[in-house]
Amino acid sequence: MKRLAILLALALPLAAAATDYTVQPASSTLGFSNTFQGESFDGKFGRWTAAISYDAANLASSKFDVEVDLASVKTGDGDRDSALPGSDFFDVAKFPKAHFVTTGFRQVGAKVIADGTLTLHGISKPVSLDVTFTPQAGGATLDVAGTVKRLDFGVGTGDYADTSVIGGDVKVTAHLQLAAK
Amino acid sequence: MSLRSNERQWGSVAKFFHWTIALAILGNGTFGLLMDLAHSPMQKINWLALHKSIGLTVLALVLLRVLWRWRDGRPREEAAPRWQQWSARIVHALLYLLIVAIPLSGWWFNSVTGKPLQWFKQFNLPALAAKNDELRHFAHGVHEYLFWFLILLLVAHVGAALKHHVFDHDNVLRRMLPFGRPTSRGDRS
Repeated sequence: MKRLAILLALALPLAAAATDYTVQPASSTLGFSNTFQGESFDGKFGRWTAAISYDAANLASSKFDVEVDLASVKTGDGDRDSALPGSDFFDVAKFPKAHFVTTGFRQVGAKVIADGTLTLHGISKPVSLDVTFTPQAGGATLDVAGTVKRLDFGVGTGDYADTSVIGGDVKVTAHLQLAAK
Repeated sequence: MSLRSNERQWGSVAKFFHWTIALAILGNGTFGLLMDLAHSPMQKINWLALHKSIGLTVLALVLLRVLWRWRDGRPREEAAPRWQQWSARIVHALLYLLIVAIPLSGWWFNSVTGKPLQWFKQFNLPALAAKNDELRHFAHGVHEYLFWFLILLLVAHVGAALKHHVFDHDNVLRRMLPFGRPTSRGDRS
């Protein structure tokens, strides 16, 4: 009994052994792409933070927690960049941040999918991301990609809901350069 | 009425091009000047998209028209003083130039503004120039003032056509009217 307790005590930290990483902001990006009048455009968020714990062999203890400052959006077009933070889209005055936190990870064939909850524009909905995690000396790179249906989150409603002008499926991608803590 | 023009009158294809382009460019020009009446940014986006689509259509029609005119020829010129014949030729040449230049300058304006160019939500066309914020205002001016120049020439064009019709009683206007026919009374030469 005593021996078992010791074994358990030793095993517990192992079971919770997903490594914590810190994001190297200079070489990491969080962005998206969508279409406007049939032409695709890319956007980026300048300010965001991510707490990443990940172990490919221990997905149950892995976790992503990402917070995005929506006012930091840039898409290379002045009109668009002034419209996006406004009340018709992100409405940063009321909802300054978007938050994504994982609820679990799934291994599907060779792929890992992160299921989570995205809170954007005051609305929380499930969003799934494809995860590509590549360990490197002293850290790793993490690439995620997923689709956010903007209308599910009430981003660009009313006149702007017309998806033949502004695409409805926003592709979100992030590339994170991670250093082990 | 034949498709092709003959010695006495314009053919129905030439008439179609003349009147369709005239209506489209005047309508679209007026529409363009009223853009700021849009009551929401999205309405303006949609109005501009429509304005651009119509403009591209005009440009395509003008190119077809020039090709057709080149293959088709024209009715003989009415006898008139030399200065009148030359001013008519110059005004016609400038009108042709403008109906090409106005849509093209709009395309250029759209390009330096860095906006997409889509034809009735069907397909996209490439930019004619790189995005350039400094040229934006100038390009808009070029696009708009070319239209005002067209209006100026149009006054001369319409004025001359009416002068021929009302005072000279010749076929100059009648041979271009959609269902008009030249009359022997109007034959001067």
